[in-house]
Amino acid sequence: MFYYVTRSKHDVDDDHDPGRYSDPPLLVLTSLADGPKHGHAMLEDIFRMSGTRLGPGTLYGAIARLERERLIEPLPAEERRQPYRLTPGGVRVLRAKLTTLSGFVRVGLKKLEAR
Amino acid sequence: MNARRARRLAGLYPQEWRTRYSEEFQLFLEDHPSDVRTILDVLGSATREHALSFWRLKMDRRRTCLALMFYTCMIAIVAGVNFYWTVDGTSLVAAMKIHPSLFTSWNLVRIGAALFAAVIAAVGIPVSWAMARTALAARRWDVIHRLAVPPCAGLVVLVWLVVGARIAGGHWVPTPWDVAGNWIAPADWPPLSIRWTLGLVSFVLMTIGIIVSVVSFRQAIIRSDWLSLRRIWLNVSAMLLAVSVGVMALGVLMWGWFIERYTVSDFHARNGGFFSSTNFASWIGSLVLLLAATATAVSGTRSAFRAEAE
Repeated sequence: MFYYVTRSKHDVDDDHDPGRYSDPPLLVLTSLADGPKHGHAMLEDIFRMSGTRLGPGTLYGAIARLERERLIEPLPAEERRQPYRLTPGGVRVLRAKLTTLSGFVRVGLKKLEAR
Repeated sequence: MNARRARRLAGLYPQEWRTRYSEEFQLFLEDHPSDVRTILDVLGSATREHALSFWRLKMDRRRTCLALMFYTCMIAIVAGVNFYWTVDGTSLVAAMKIHPSLFTSWNLVRIGAALFAAVIAAVGIPVSWAMARTALAARRWDVIHRLAVPPCAGLVVLVWLVVGARIAGGHWVPTPWDVAGNWIAPADWPPLSIRWTLGLVSFVLMTIGIIVSVVSFRQAIIRSDWLSLRRIWLNVSAMLLAVSVGVMALGVLMWGWFIERYTVSDFHARNGGFFSSTNFASWIGSLVLLLAATATAVSGTRSAFRAEAE
């Protein structure tokens, strides 16, 4: 809806960028899968993972939503930066989502290969 | 981005969001470039949070009932105005004088509208006044500002209609119902392009006025400390409001049914509908809105009775 995802200049040249994945809450959850991170670290990590550079409003929109749903939680601030980590519920949800996605990807690719 | 701009951007978010995230979000923004993409991104996100907070703020059943009654009023007023302007000044008026069943269904709408007005006078005005008085005594300017939005929005639309009529030379009021159609405009009316432009401005102002009124009144209800309305009074008024809009909806439905039988060509002509639509399309619009208003009012009544049960 209002998710606004910006691309880096170093991103792929294709303007349509069909390989880009932009589901901000899932990207944030995945970014936190290997440990707590603050906003900037999340942005960089998400860019490395998916080639998507989230805008600050989009990132905090996703953070707010995930915190409301108790999937992530804040840790004590470190030098003006606010780290977040996954809650046990967040780990469960992320695992379930990635498992579903992975099955979906497998089936989709298999269908493509069968063409 | 400098601290001042970051603070301003963070200030665009709803209050409950700012309470939780404003400080860290400002610091986060200060490390971002102040480019158009960033600003647009924040604007989009703030809009989304406002939309979400509109539905997320929980109300107790009595507040829900009051809010639903207000929504009902706004929807019914739009439907009623649309219906009246669709019929007014067209050959459909002459048809109503010939066919008693048409006149009866029109009167049914009028009875519903009279009951509707009575409920607003008996509950809406005293409730709004009591909320305003309580808020003034407690110096709750946030509530006062929000309560002031609906009358101010109405005033803006009214002033615009007067100004628009003067721009148009004083012979035409810029309502969206008198723009164009299968009729020849009187010679002293402004040209078609000006009628479209002014009519469109009226439509935009009305739409914005309705949206900001609904949002503001809902927030005023949520923030208001005043809740001394007697339950029996709330239940009865909610029920009467539902009956009134139900009667209006029934009247409009019957009117459309009969007019389709008696003067089908006039009904499907483009001589009074909203923005040059057919009278039939405009009638459908009013009917759908009145049915929605009835459903909203019934939902409000249920909230009132559940509040009593709790």
